Amino acid sequence: MWYFIFRRTAGFVATLFVVSAVVFSVMNILPGDPALTILGLDATDDALAALREQLGLNQPVLARYVSWVWNALQGDFGISHSFRVPVSELIAERLPMTVSLAVAGMIFTLVIALSLGIGAAARHRKVGDWGVMFISQIGIAVPAFWLSMLLVLLFAVKLRWLPPGGFAGWSDPVAAMRSLVLPTIALGVVQSAVLARVTRSSALEVMRQDFVRTARASGLSRRRVLWRHVLPNALVPIVTIVGMQFAALVTGTIVIENVFYLPGLGRLIFQSISNRDLPTVQALVMLFAAIVVTANFVVDLLYVVIDPRLKART
Amino acid sequence: MFQLADFSVSFGTATALRRATLDIRQGDRLGIVGESGSGKTMLALALMGMAPDAAKIGGRLTIDGQDMTHASERTWQQMRARRVAMIFQEPMSALNPLRRIGDTMMEPLIVHEGLSRAQAQARVLALFEEVGIPDPAARLRMFPHELSGGQRQRVLIALALACNPALLIADEPTTALDANVALRITDLLVRLARERGMALVFITHDLAAVARTTKDIVVMYGGDMIERGPTAQVLAAPAHPYTQGLLAARPDPTVPPRDATGKRRRLPTLPGTVPPLAALPQGCRFSGRCSVELPQCAGTRPTDHAVDPDRSAACHLLGAAP
Repeated sequence: MWYFIFRRTAGFVATLFVVSAVVFSVMNILPGDPALTILGLDATDDALAALREQLGLNQPVLARYVSWVWNALQGDFGISHSFRVPVSELIAERLPMTVSLAVAGMIFTLVIALSLGIGAAARHRKVGDWGVMFISQIGIAVPAFWLSMLLVLLFAVKLRWLPPGGFAGWSDPVAAMRSLVLPTIALGVVQSAVLARVTRSSALEVMRQDFVRTARASGLSRRRVLWRHVLPNALVPIVTIVGMQFAALVTGTIVIENVFYLPGLGRLIFQSISNRDLPTVQALVMLFAAIVVTANFVVDLLYVVIDPRLKART
Repeated sequence: MFQLADFSVSFGTATALRRATLDIRQGDRLGIVGESGSGKTMLALALMGMAPDAAKIGGRLTIDGQDMTHASERTWQQMRARRVAMIFQEPMSALNPLRRIGDTMMEPLIVHEGLSRAQAQARVLALFEEVGIPDPAARLRMFPHELSGGQRQRVLIALALACNPALLIADEPTTALDANVALRITDLLVRLARERGMALVFITHDLAAVARTTKDIVVMYGGDMIERGPTAQVLAAPAHPYTQGLLAARPDPTVPPRDATGKRRRLPTLPGTVPPLAALPQGCRFSGRCSVELPQCAGTRPTDHAVDPDRSAACHLLGAAP
């Protein structure tokens, strides 16, 4: 088992390096001169040359990559061209917003998907099952940005129950939660629809197994059998999907934060791209990629926690 | 304690169990014998209230005088484990692979009898001792995949016994096990039934195992109970042509495998195979494969005819001869 964990950790670190190389290369292939962007079209050639020198743009590519990685490892992502502050400060300021939204979306997805999925499996080929399948089909088909607008129209504009957008931080927890409700739903609906279907089919597969019959023969209630015996055994495919969904939720915040005017990383990356703010974009793309890779790494480790048989095999 | 009267289980037009009548008393050890598809597993599931949801149930099933024919799932939950428990064919897959043996064992005790974990654990250790599991304390922390097939079957037996059931149903408990392990498991079941005064229903197609373990036997074919009586007498002189054929199909170790001319002898077999449930004949289920065929066989269901005071068989031949 320790060998398994060691191998996965080594793979995790290696993947992060490959990702950083790809992100860096792509950013450098992009057309456009950062110096020109910063100083504007009227800048003199001397000023441009001086700025390129100051930004280190005249150094060889490899040297710039090494220094970027080295600085990034120490939390230094350079200075944002458009905000004129360190990128790390920008990220630190907006990270709580995005993390709150992604975590809320994940919790929403898990609660909705597991109860609908297990509920549908328990009512296999009955009305409840069909209902869940029908609703989840719609949920998968609805685009998040469109759903966001409908939610705002209904709950913020018409009913005035919830704010239409914005986020003032966690200093007022009630207000913070209220402003997170609509974005969370908009973000989580598609994911919970997908996950509900995965949960249902995975649970149905497990319910055919002999130990489920043993559990029922022990006089345990259907409910207990489903949640204590079927669900844990159905978790391996569920966790695989959840890992991918966490990545999708984090990247999904880009759209949702823009629709709801939430000051998070998604909105920051959108603004930085518009402003051709290369250091910021580069840092954010790297950060999003790192989150995706980390989610997959955590899923790999969870397999061993879920299934003790893997410990013996790996 | 357990009574079935004209009890039927059907799926649409297919009848898995037809008008079964059975009376199980305390201390009974009853063997149910038949081929795959004869309805013996359906009978066991029905006694547990675990017939599939799609099944249509007719007749009457009573447990301790209480009508359980159409009892709710909640009522059955109270019956299961405490009045009737069951062990299944596949010990390899019948235990939750993600749970430690101890947690699986303690769960019904905690749920049904409200024991604390410590009390439940003490009970489990005693049960493991009773069913002959060595080093019980260490087993509690193990996962099913760390045990052998025989050990797992012992765990399942202990699990079935946890809440002191009055009836234990063993559905082909030894089919998946090695012959010597199987023998020890059957002997264990008999010992437990005797010591606890518990009724045992032993479902199998292994006639030798039935002879070793049971006092009475019911032979099933195509969802009908076609012959019943004390095990020794039925096996010594079967009355129904099907039972006769079944016994004749056993290899006889006293007959040399080659005949006088050096040709390999073939085992006598029953001609044909069991038809699918929906295609069974309306009358005697065995008609069409039977060596004797009376005009009424295919169309009329034979009733039970007494062979001896405590033996009967459902065959028109027995009704015809006075």
